[in-house]
Amino acid sequence: MMQNAKISTYQFLILVTLFTIGTSILIVPSGLAAKAKHDAWIVAIVGMVIGLVVIGLFCLIAQWFPHLTFIQMNEMILGKWLGKGVSLLFVFMSFIYASSLLFYSGTFLNTHLLPNTPMASLNILMAIIIVMGVHLGLETIARSAEIFILVFFVLFFFLVLFISPEVKFENVQPIFEAGTKTVIQSTFPFIEVTSVNAIVLLMFFPVNVNNRKQASKSFFIGYIIGGIVIIIFTFLSVSVLGAYSTAAEVFPSYELAKRINIGDFIQRIEALMAGLWIIALYFKTTIYFYASVLGIAQILNLKDYRPLIVPLGMIAAVLSLVIYPNVVYQQNWNQTTGIFLSFSIGVFLPLLLVAVYAIRKKQLKKAPESS
Amino acid sequence: MNKCLFAILILSLFLTGCWDRRELNELAIMLAMGVEKVEEEYQVFAQVVVPSEVSMKGSTGSTKVTLYSAKGETVYEAFRKMTKDSPRKIYPGHLKILVMGEELAKEGIGESLDLLSRDWEIRPDFYVVVTKDTSPSEILNTTTNLESIPANKMFNSLQMSEKAWSGTKSITLDELIADLISDGKQAVITGVQLIGNSKIGSSKKNVEMVSPAASIQYDHLSVFKGDKLVGWLTEEETIAYSYVTDSVKTSVRRISCPEGGDATIAIEKSHSDVKGYIRKGNPEVDITIKVEGNIGSVECKMDLNDLGTIAELEKIYEKEKIAIINKTIDTLQKKYKTDIFGFGEAIHRANPKEWNKIKDHWEEEFSNVTVNVNVDLKILSTGTVNNSFLEEIKD
Repeated sequence: MMQNAKISTYQFLILVTLFTIGTSILIVPSGLAAKAKHDAWIVAIVGMVIGLVVIGLFCLIAQWFPHLTFIQMNEMILGKWLGKGVSLLFVFMSFIYASSLLFYSGTFLNTHLLPNTPMASLNILMAIIIVMGVHLGLETIARSAEIFILVFFVLFFFLVLFISPEVKFENVQPIFEAGTKTVIQSTFPFIEVTSVNAIVLLMFFPVNVNNRKQASKSFFIGYIIGGIVIIIFTFLSVSVLGAYSTAAEVFPSYELAKRINIGDFIQRIEALMAGLWIIALYFKTTIYFYASVLGIAQILNLKDYRPLIVPLGMIAAVLSLVIYPNVVYQQNWNQTTGIFLSFSIGVFLPLLLVAVYAIRKKQLKKAPESS
Repeated sequence: MNKCLFAILILSLFLTGCWDRRELNELAIMLAMGVEKVEEEYQVFAQVVVPSEVSMKGSTGSTKVTLYSAKGETVYEAFRKMTKDSPRKIYPGHLKILVMGEELAKEGIGESLDLLSRDWEIRPDFYVVVTKDTSPSEILNTTTNLESIPANKMFNSLQMSEKAWSGTKSITLDELIADLISDGKQAVITGVQLIGNSKIGSSKKNVEMVSPAASIQYDHLSVFKGDKLVGWLTEEETIAYSYVTDSVKTSVRRISCPEGGDATIAIEKSHSDVKGYIRKGNPEVDITIKVEGNIGSVECKMDLNDLGTIAELEKIYEKEKIAIINKTIDTLQKKYKTDIFGFGEAIHRANPKEWNKIKDHWEEEFSNVTVNVNVDLKILSTGTVNNSFLEEIKD
């Protein structure tokens, strides 16, 4: 097993940040603006604060058995067969999301950058890099994340700097028109993509983090950094494009990059900025894929997860092509099915674990020592 | 074995191409586009640069651009049909100006704009203009001096006249769409006219003359209700519109001297603030315009060394400006009944609750809005001289 891979708390923090930003950076502003209009950025702030509670829940679970992954924890707490059943659901979710993210990156490139290239070739290329990453192991992924986060933040910094002259505060006024009810309602999709899905991080947190005590702190900090990036993006989208365009665009943050124009000199650099989304999407997909591969290996009690990587990679690439017939279906699926799937795995399952753990506490405390 | 595999992998890097590559010699770069409605069909025009004529070498002296057109039931269809005529696929990524026909504007521009916001190659940062008493084909057929590519001429002169004169208003596609969908603001688009003989205008002869037989000029501002053109503002009203919506960069304005004759104020800076209120259940709008300027020219007798004269000039300017702005607002409230100033948005920002009650019948409410205009001019300098030499001219 890859149990002895170790990543530092800083590397873990970066992975959390990239995971939080991941898809959200592309699609969240649009979804939020559709419901909350010009108050979308407020929803993002509220969502981030609520998300902290969810992250807190994960940290709570993680500290019971710091040497076990989430899959092993399920088995430990819920018993062998129930645990395996629940774990299968968990693996199913992360695998579906890995393919769905491949679909995202394919659609994104297809709509904006390479419209004539078949999506299959784009997805296969992306899948190959992901398979490579997972094959090389968590340590390599973490180290490359360390490098790419710099690229990410440099690009992010320039994007924010260059787009700031275009900000029109009229677009976000009047502030808080949406009202508390709408704001709370529209936070759910945000919480889903940013924090609830972060449950897949429990596949290597805190097992593979070298300093387990500091790891929880990194989880929070990483999440907050990622959240702030999304809040900034949402705010910029609404204040530059206006609430209507933000909601109408499929990828509003890319449209944002298109608007950059400093003195008719620095302009048309959106293709460069696309690097931002590719980096974030890559790491999020890789983490999902890693979680599903490792999860299957652990459910089947395999010694090594590597033999599974290539076949699952192929399945993911094919699945990404057939998973959604079109973008509209995908948006619909996210709003109806996806959100329940995420919440049942990412919130109700942990809560169930908390309840069962509370009942079986004494019994369980003995178990790890004896095993 | 491994080395062999590695070599194959490396070599394969050189074999890759790009699926979406399009070489420059396969593209027809469209700088200006025209859309007009002809008998239930869209007619789309594309003004395309002829690369060999633009380059320094190899120019044969024919026109720098060429115009393709096609008809179709949708804009996109017509756009693609152009390849029947054009040897290259039209590339819209560098589009600078979109010319809408007056007839189309009267019927509604909404449908024809959708393609332009949906297509991935088009950026929404080009200007939109509407033809007045002419058609897009005539406008796009006219050759121009100084800027040899007509689309560039149109783009630059709109930008310049907005900056230096404020009698035109540049509107980009995204601004236009934002206005079209807003509850509290209606769209305006600047008008474009053809002055002179359009037949000679389309040939190269036009640019061989010192004063061309035909020229493209911006004038008037079209007023929209929804996506339909309902009328035109005069130049004076356009300037008033620019002042209210805070788009004046610099401008000049004639005023009458205290004792007859004219003077000109050069406006260097203008800032307007539109505030909406609900007072006793009635919507009200306060417009405060702060202007800074210099004395540009004096064509009358007055003593500029006197502080009193400056103060008096400021007052005259303010009074005249307020009158024009009030007149413009009145025209829109009474004649066109369309809120192009964004008063609705101002009220929305100030009082969202009340706005929700009135927004459905804002069209009628707008006609009854009380508008308080306040203009404040500060004259900063008198140019390079104090008193005009006119004072000293001996009869």
